Amino acid sequence: MRVRRWTAGCLAASLVVSVAACSSSSSSTNTSTSTSSSSAAGSGTAPAPTSSGSSAAAVTSSGTLVVDTAFQLKTADPGRMFEPTGLLVDHAMYATLLTFAGDDVKKPVPDLAESFTASADGKVYTFKLRKDAVFSDGTPVTSADVVFSLNRVKNLKGNPSFLMDGITVTTPDATTVVLTSATPNPAIPFIVPNSALGILNSKAVKAAGGSDAAGADTSDKAETALNTNSQGAGPYTLTSYSTTTQVVMTANPKYWGTKPKYEKIIVRNVQANVQKLNVLKGQSQIAVDLSPAQADGIGSTVQVVNGASPNVFFLFTNNSSAISKITSNPDFQQAVRYGVDYDSLVTLAGTGAVQANGIIPTMFLGSLAAGTGVKRDVAKAKAALAKSGLNNPTIKLAYPSDIQVNGLNFGDLAARVQANLKEIGITVTLAPASVQTALETYRGGKEEMGLWEWGPDYPDPGDYLNFLPGQVVGKRANWLAGQSPALEALGAKAASTIDDATRATQYTQIQTMMNEAGPIMPLIQPAQVLVAANSVKNVKSNALWLVDLSELG
Amino acid sequence: MPGPRKRARHGDLSVFISKRLGIGVVLIFGVMLMSFVLTQLVPGDPAAANLGQQAVEDPTVVAAFRHKYGLDKPLPVQFLTYLWNVLHGDLGLSQQSHRPVSTDLAEYVPATFELAIFAIVLSLLIGVTLGVLAAVTRDRWPDQVLRVVSLAGVSMPTFWIALMAFYLLFFKWGILPGGGRLDPTETAPAHITGMYTVDALLHGQWSLFGAALYHLALPGLVLATYTIGLLLRFTRASVLEILGNDYVRAARAKGLPERVVVMRHVLRPALVSIITVAGVAFGSLLSGAVLVENIFSWPGLGQYAYLSAINLDLPAIMGVSLVVAVVYISMNLLVDVLYGVIDPRIRLS
Repeated sequence: MRVRRWTAGCLAASLVVSVAACSSSSSSTNTSTSTSSSSAAGSGTAPAPTSSGSSAAAVTSSGTLVVDTAFQLKTADPGRMFEPTGLLVDHAMYATLLTFAGDDVKKPVPDLAESFTASADGKVYTFKLRKDAVFSDGTPVTSADVVFSLNRVKNLKGNPSFLMDGITVTTPDATTVVLTSATPNPAIPFIVPNSALGILNSKAVKAAGGSDAAGADTSDKAETALNTNSQGAGPYTLTSYSTTTQVVMTANPKYWGTKPKYEKIIVRNVQANVQKLNVLKGQSQIAVDLSPAQADGIGSTVQVVNGASPNVFFLFTNNSSAISKITSNPDFQQAVRYGVDYDSLVTLAGTGAVQANGIIPTMFLGSLAAGTGVKRDVAKAKAALAKSGLNNPTIKLAYPSDIQVNGLNFGDLAARVQANLKEIGITVTLAPASVQTALETYRGGKEEMGLWEWGPDYPDPGDYLNFLPGQVVGKRANWLAGQSPALEALGAKAASTIDDATRATQYTQIQTMMNEAGPIMPLIQPAQVLVAANSVKNVKSNALWLVDLSELG
Repeated sequence: MPGPRKRARHGDLSVFISKRLGIGVVLIFGVMLMSFVLTQLVPGDPAAANLGQQAVEDPTVVAAFRHKYGLDKPLPVQFLTYLWNVLHGDLGLSQQSHRPVSTDLAEYVPATFELAIFAIVLSLLIGVTLGVLAAVTRDRWPDQVLRVVSLAGVSMPTFWIALMAFYLLFFKWGILPGGGRLDPTETAPAHITGMYTVDALLHGQWSLFGAALYHLALPGLVLATYTIGLLLRFTRASVLEILGNDYVRAARAKGLPERVVVMRHVLRPALVSIITVAGVAFGSLLSGAVLVENIFSWPGLGQYAYLSAINLDLPAIMGVSLVVAVVYISMNLLVDVLYGVIDPRIRLS
């Protein structure tokens, strides 16, 4: 009897919880449906899929697209933004002088600038603005807005400020903008499409406390305003913004270009392993962060766009004998170069990954052709090790252990490298560390051997001159200026060459030389996987902003 | 007119609370000092953590970053400045969100609070009920089953339970929503407390209240699993201990119904230890919701703390530490006061 009473009590308690859940379930469905209807009314755009057989409300409606990504977002203010999620959303809200169409980042195409010309010395770029472009409040886009926006990026001294290094912006008239570089800078057409260089409505931003003057790093107060309302001339405007929940954008009714298909885009912060279930369930239409393993066999209800990512994993051996007498030995470097099994690393990275034939990713100008990268040659590696005079060398391989790039763990790659080199007689001790700790030793040039990744700052081969002696990454491997004069001379020449065909040849030569000797070994480009509902058309992976939301159909 | 004894009791309580508040202030100072020292000891540079690979190579950019966040000042000055600012309600600027930490906390703390309150209510409701049931059916099959349940609750890793619950209840069966505080197309209620269920109720938005409660169910249930197991075990043990007392036998001998014996003479004294556990568990729920918040895309304190830690966002780390310390201290104080309310013997002593 007593048991029965207590059991009844427990059941009652459970029922209370269940009823609450069920009643709210129906409420939620109703709410969602009504919201969906209202958004559908004004859009008239392509319907998005809905889930079936579930009491959980389908979140999409006609004209609403939900994109799931694990946020890397600090701000929506273009002048301060340089994170992947920021690039994704800002590209939809801010037009730039030039842009890239779809997945082709080898050829900048007009955006706000209808045309541009370059001086013969590669120092002066003149952009002619189109006359019909307006901001989301209807104000025409003028050259003064461009000057303000680009100078603001420069003077905010934030993450993207380096894009404007050595560049001055002038404006002879209301529709002409001139970018002048102190040194030849053929990368300018590839730099200006960056979402960080999105053009702002200068009047509105100034009214919100914005400044483009020297000292803007302390005087500019417009960030909060730009995180509330966008002030761009892009296809979307900002509706709501949160660095942890979601960013909602609505189609810009005053957009001067091709109208986007979706009335509303919701970019949600969702962990990678949950994104798969959401997209399969119809709760989202695009999942951005799935690994190849998660995308394999995902089924026919969704489409998988799987290509190589522009991120390059690379290995370096420290070139300083003060840091390591082993890794600075050129023959040891050759042993490592030919001892790594690149094919097995590609297999480990999954479908869509490719070997990094050179340090420049396959989709950029000047990249090496497929199959021309370094191949494993155990005999050659052993011979090089024998020539080095090192007997059973033991080295430490440092890498960040708490981050993934394109769903790939550094630790997995490091373990594979360790096994590869063991076969040729090199003992590798793994030295994982949190990314913040590892970054400090890496940037300080103190790692004996390091496994790292480079994501493009802009899709131009010039960005990869950072790997040459005396440059950013070169210094981290203590590959200092003057240690490879021929390579450095070629790099200097490539940096000032304007003609793309000539540049392509020069960068090919640079990478071929780097593949023959030196302390830096490109390994792989992991896969960039986009999983989308079949109803979403024109899904293309972009090296800079992951996917162009305004191009989706 | 209150009698002299009652007045004295109130006076005692005021002194007790004042003393505890005083100790609390010292503890909070200690927590802040420890947090500050520990964040300084962690290898890593906030500038390197927050600036990009190109920006960190530019000394002017690095200098601007350090100046903006006050990292260019000596450590003691940084700490004293921080303390002074905290006393004036300024918790500094977050390096990850570029917003005042107080603004961030005002957004994230209520989200976690709502989740933790839901989880603790669920835990008390289920854990205590089942604990009493297990005790009164000692060594019979309900007790045996509940022992396995409680063991499972405290043993299974939360992330595993979260993923399984997400897969089954959301993906497979579609009973509960997947993640987030609301569906993406729904608009949050106007901010009053920051807790969507409460704000929706205060605004009379019943469907939104239902939606918010619906979204709470799955993460709340997962977060409550451990606490349910814990409370079940504690309740069972406490009730069993009290059931053996003479006064319980006397109550039964007087012919009182078992329900009355358990509710009036057993459960009330057992509540002392249950409340202790629940108080500590609530603090843990607040500070330990990282995994659940991550999996269920719940924008709460856990996610914020995690992001702060990996970005070496010192003001945010300090802010989170401060909140957690205040919550723990407040909960302990509340538990101590509740002891006296539940058991007058404790109050008198």
